[in-house]
Amino acid sequence: MTSRSSGTDMIAELLIATFFGLLLLGIHRKIIARIQRRPGPPIWQEILHMLKFSFKTTWIPKTASPVLFVGVVLIAIGIWTAAFYVLISGGSLLVIFGIYMLHKIVEHGFGLSSGSPYSKYGGVRSVISAASELPLFVSVAVIAVYTRSLDLSAIMYYQQVHGPLLIIAFPAACAMFIVILSKMPFGPFSIVEAKELVSGYKTEHFGIWRAGLEICNGLKTYVLIAVFLAVFIGPLSLPWLLVGMILMIVILAFACAVTPMMSPFDSVTIQMLVTALMLVYAAIVLMVVQP
Amino acid sequence: MIDLVGGVPLYILEFGDELVYLTPYTITLFLLALTFTVLALISQPEKQIDIAFGGDAYRAKEISVDEMRFRRFMAIACGLATMGAMVTGDIFNFTLFTAMVGITNVGIVAAVKSPHVQDAAYQYGLVALAATVPLFAGAAVYAAVTGSLSMIELMKGTVPAVPLIAKGMLMLGVIGEGMAPFYAAKAEMFRAPGAPYVIMCSLSSLLIFLRVVEIIMLG
Repeated sequence: MTSRSSGTDMIAELLIATFFGLLLLGIHRKIIARIQRRPGPPIWQEILHMLKFSFKTTWIPKTASPVLFVGVVLIAIGIWTAAFYVLISGGSLLVIFGIYMLHKIVEHGFGLSSGSPYSKYGGVRSVISAASELPLFVSVAVIAVYTRSLDLSAIMYYQQVHGPLLIIAFPAACAMFIVILSKMPFGPFSIVEAKELVSGYKTEHFGIWRAGLEICNGLKTYVLIAVFLAVFIGPLSLPWLLVGMILMIVILAFACAVTPMMSPFDSVTIQMLVTALMLVYAAIVLMVVQP
Repeated sequence: MIDLVGGVPLYILEFGDELVYLTPYTITLFLLALTFTVLALISQPEKQIDIAFGGDAYRAKEISVDEMRFRRFMAIACGLATMGAMVTGDIFNFTLFTAMVGITNVGIVAAVKSPHVQDAAYQYGLVALAATVPLFAGAAVYAAVTGSLSMIELMKGTVPAVPLIAKGMLMLGVIGEGMAPFYAAKAEMFRAPGAPYVIMCSLSSLLIFLRVVEIIMLG
């Protein structure tokens, strides 16, 4: 009975996280639209998208690799579900960031599996923009140097004692913010979904497969922002966590609204520059904190 | 310094000189490698469409059965090498698996009859070849300084601290196998049709990179 109710709770938490993540993406779109003096869609538009695609006609393109075409959708939902449970169980930060990096492969799989040139270029751009993940690991290394652990629960406990890492390791927080920004739609680093590629890697995924992709995006947004708050602010009660997440999405939306989308070359160059700066910062931290 | 980087080891298998251990982190990576290897095993390749810019012409690339068989074999070999690298607890074995990933990555696209892909595979092969020098040198320094190549011993902290240069060489060797900024040639390899096999090229590099992050944090 206990295991059944806890299993039900876990599924409920997963559903709430998915819908809240989609709502955050809707808020993101709305804010960008208002900054650009457009009315924009309602904030629940992404939830409607997901529901709409769930009931639309589904097909697999004649040119696609059918097993891979469907398989990557399931893998995408699977890896972010795993990341969500690692987050709520206070597990290893390294597992979450490993999953974050593997999302690139999922995007690549989405892009290549259909045979469409548009989605293929979206997938290839996704792999090229893997440079954005390197600052992430420098951030993780810096956090590890301070907290001597990579367990989320231990990192949050450290912040209860010493104060938020946002203040102690501000450059690491900035680097992780850029990493999250690179995953937001309509952002300066969103080269995988550029308009010249129609919808990039997801061009050919329609119907239930697209709904699966929307679920993955909602969950991913929730997990990434919640991890940022857990790692750099510390433990928060549920109301404060939700407020913090909305605040984060507002900041991200402003960053996306006021910066143009970069070319793939510029995007990768800037990410490499951030990596270089973070390496210098990590070296300084290593010498000062752990001589 | 930092213990239990990838979580508490759930299972340790000591088999002579061989050592395999599973933590939540390595299990996650292993399962991903296994999933994509199974996908490479059971998936048919897609028919990649090429469009002629400025016109309406397009054509689908077909993959012959012989080519598909060879590439599928290399993709599975790549998956097996990646899985080995994910669960091994021995640094020398890890470097061997990493080198094998580099070789199989070239093999995955070697049968594609496209000059662009062949050029890219050749250039990638040169970079991967050069990267094996710091890779094995890093492992040698690990052995020289600590007297052990066991990751469990490094985790316990019973051996002398590993110098930063050894960790740097190990990381450089892995990055040379296909991570930024050495992945330019690899991106060109993705022109090749055959999605289930080509994906193994990027997946293997990424997983090896994720594993080496854990390794350099030990000891």
